[in-house]
Amino acid sequence: MVAGPRNCSLTALVVDGDTTSNMIEQGLLRSFGVITCGVDNGRAAIDLFASGAKFDLILIDLILPVINGLETTRQIRAMGVKTKMLGVTACSREREEKAFLAAGVDEFIEKPLDSNRLASILMELNAN
Amino acid sequence: MDLVQLQRQFVDYTTSLFNEGFLDDQFNQLQQLQDESNPDFVVEVVSLFFEDSERHLNELTQSLEQQNIDFKRIDAHVHQLKGSSSSIGAQRVQKECINFRGYCEEKNIEGCRKCLQQVKHEYVLVKNKLETLFKLEQQIIAAGGSI
Repeated sequence: MVAGPRNCSLTALVVDGDTTSNMIEQGLLRSFGVITCGVDNGRAAIDLFASGAKFDLILIDLILPVINGLETTRQIRAMGVKTKMLGVTACSREREEKAFLAAGVDEFIEKPLDSNRLASILMELNAN
Repeated sequence: MDLVQLQRQFVDYTTSLFNEGFLDDQFNQLQQLQDESNPDFVVEVVSLFFEDSERHLNELTQSLEQQNIDFKRIDAHVHQLKGSSSSIGAQRVQKECINFRGYCEEKNIEGCRKCLQQVKHEYVLVKNKLETLFKLEQQIIAAGGSI
């Protein structure tokens, strides 16, 4: 079992076009007791927020089908969504990270997700 | 083969996959996510990985056969394949994807074609290894044992 804030009551949205990664990320979040929802493209994520859905955490991949990660992030922020957003990257190219931050993510987490890092982010969210 | 021998074979085979670099610690992390409420998590995720990878590899093959090569589209597929292979711990596939992205950035067609062959080669190897591992696991469970 992965160590972490097992009794948290947080909710998280995973936005990743890669179904393998989406399933693993949700599995990891659920191992911490997080209730998860997953979508596989930017349009679906935007539509969720437009319909009034709320989450405590969003994990969003840079490269997404339909609407890419950068534009999806911008549109979600433009709706006034202040939820903590983690930009998920499978690489650490500086220019991509800068663009992702400028679009509105709060910080990055690289694939594969580090469970200790995720645990500390969830503990911080739980505390708040 | 009796149960004890099967279990020993399973342990030895798993160890060899790590020693030969086919799998890395991320595969262990994946196994930790499997529990009573999700007993088939690893097999399900790895099966998804096989489906996704084959789709990406087909798209990459077609893209590299075009007159006008769309490097952005190729990079997007390799990026996703890199992400999914790293997420399940398929280390050698991930490393070839890193090389591939480098050639995409340089718009080096021959480099990309060579890398695609390498990625395919490593993917087939890890797929066969994981299928063998899962078959061993099934044999152990059928013999009344556990992993």
